[in-house]
Amino acid sequence: MKFNDAILGGVFVVVSLLILLEARTFPTLPDQPLGPGTFPTIIAGVMLLGGAALILSGLRSRAPIMALAGWIRTPGGVRRMLAVPAFAVAYILLAKPIGFPIVVPVLLLLMLLNNGVRPLASVLTAAGASLAIWLLFARFLMVPLPLGILTEVIY
Amino acid sequence: MDALLSAAGTVLVPDVLLVIVAAAIYGLAIGSVPGLTATMGTALIVPLTFFLDPVPAIGAIVAATSMAIFAGDIPGALLRIPGTPASAAYTDEAFRMREKGQVELALGVNLVCSVIGGLVGVAILIFAAPQIARFSLGFSSYEYFWLALLGLSCAVIVSTGPAVKGVLSLSIGLMLSTIGIDVVMGIRRFTFGDTELIGGISIIPVLIGMFAITEILRKSADPQQPGEVPRLRMRAMMHGVGGTIWRYKGGVARSSVLGSVIGALPGAGADIASWIAFALAKRFSKTPEKFGTGHPEGIVSASSANNASLSGAYVPSLVFGIPGDTITAILIGVLLMKGITPGPMVFVMDAGLVNAIFVVFILANLIMLPLGLLAILGSRRLLVLPQRALFPVILLFCVIGAFAANNTVFDIWVMLILGLLAFVLEENDFPLAPMILALILGPLIEENFMKSIIKSDGQALEFFARPIGGTLGVVTLLVWVALAIVSLRKARRPQTERGIA
Repeated sequence: MKFNDAILGGVFVVVSLLILLEARTFPTLPDQPLGPGTFPTIIAGVMLLGGAALILSGLRSRAPIMALAGWIRTPGGVRRMLAVPAFAVAYILLAKPIGFPIVVPVLLLLMLLNNGVRPLASVLTAAGASLAIWLLFARFLMVPLPLGILTEVIY
Repeated sequence: MDALLSAAGTVLVPDVLLVIVAAAIYGLAIGSVPGLTATMGTALIVPLTFFLDPVPAIGAIVAATSMAIFAGDIPGALLRIPGTPASAAYTDEAFRMREKGQVELALGVNLVCSVIGGLVGVAILIFAAPQIARFSLGFSSYEYFWLALLGLSCAVIVSTGPAVKGVLSLSIGLMLSTIGIDVVMGIRRFTFGDTELIGGISIIPVLIGMFAITEILRKSADPQQPGEVPRLRMRAMMHGVGGTIWRYKGGVARSSVLGSVIGALPGAGADIASWIAFALAKRFSKTPEKFGTGHPEGIVSASSANNASLSGAYVPSLVFGIPGDTITAILIGVLLMKGITPGPMVFVMDAGLVNAIFVVFILANLIMLPLGLLAILGSRRLLVLPQRALFPVILLFCVIGAFAANNTVFDIWVMLILGLLAFVLEENDFPLAPMILALILGPLIEENFMKSIIKSDGQALEFFARPIGGTLGVVTLLVWVALAIVSLRKARRPQTERGIA
């Protein structure tokens, strides 16, 4: 997913302008123009210049607006890749209400199957890895991993 | 010397040793599985170090990274796939040696040279760091400001790709560091009304996102299945290694020192050190025509250099709090979490800790010899691990690791968003090292900049009034001018540049 430099440069220019606007609203020290906005203003200025330079070089290069990398053409590559953010988002949304011990083995199993691992190996890996990580973080390091609906069952 | 011995007392206790050995085995596994880099390995253990005392926490990072950089050589020689980018420079050469039936010699040379390079690097670290620290005790906010800025500029120079993209990557890191309560007046900046952002972006999820999630994304799209691994003979691994290294002892010495120096430059780490050492070995060789045919000379040099660079990177990290590579950037993050601010004062206030780091380094390099040998012999089993099954498990570890430091799902979002951002940036040739360095150095730069400019009443000339600060300032400005001239020249000739690429 390679974008033309002009597009990325445009993103940087827009972001830096937003930062500059926001930084103007910060208070300053009494009798001095300096304050919490000084440093972000300088950085945003650098970002603005860099973005502008990128726009120029992008326009001059005549590269395509967007070029796809080789991995997009490998069969199932996009599907396997989208599964990565999907896994994280699903954990964020589901772990608290339902609980780690139920959500994680299921998510991991789906992820492994999606990656083309054989079903039996997937079940064993998902169960083993979930248990190992539960023991390491919840038991050994005392991290309060969410129990969800299991809270009432256990306590 | 006495200090080192007494520091050895704090390291050579059962719990710390156990952590170090466990981390060493972990590092060997990370390094020998292609696709898992030393930096990613470090980012993954950071959530665990959060729960450890400073000495074992640093010991774990030092041991894991030293082992990972060596172990990256194993799949290079066996499968022609570098285990970490630091081994890429001599993967072809090592694989040619395998084709000539000398795979054991190649691996033996890799191991012994890694140990030698590592030990030379530690020696330089032990002698240089306290001297520089003593010299820099008198630094004020002006010197610190310039030094940090010079460090960031260095990171842009050594990064691959166009300088503009390095600068932009830097500016993203600095901007991210300004989120949260500001240092001057304590107001909220860029928090978008979100209470989770008031404390700023925490470093652990950012590290995991930038260095692990990006790699998982890339590898999930295109998983590689390693090929057949030959059977290795223990005796052949011992035989001839000593003689080979002795023949190229000059190269070992040169590359070890060179590796430390490159490691100390901010932004340049083990991979750059090994490329340069390999190229220099070829240039200084009496038989440069043998390079590329399975000749050990370049391997000897480059595998010394990449391990030496690891300890070299600790010099600026400990003395100035300016990371020498991405691994030490993470280490500084860990130290800050433990309430230790790296800088010359660490050598006065926490001398015990500094000496303990030295001891850990020596120890890690010594246990590399037996553990590395076992890793080479066991690599047949490790290398057949199916990557399709491995990456989902690592992803789970990332998610839980990001959650664990602050027990908040907000950090999983941070990990995910920064990971996706870093992935897109890397796909578009933006280097990530300047960004992570800037994120870690951001608060230091801003604080010293604001202190200095308020002290000087807005007079820019005050930044150059002190002798050392002024020199550093002039050097930084010269670096910028040079960068600007080089990029302008390149921009004016885009046609020829594309011709080369």
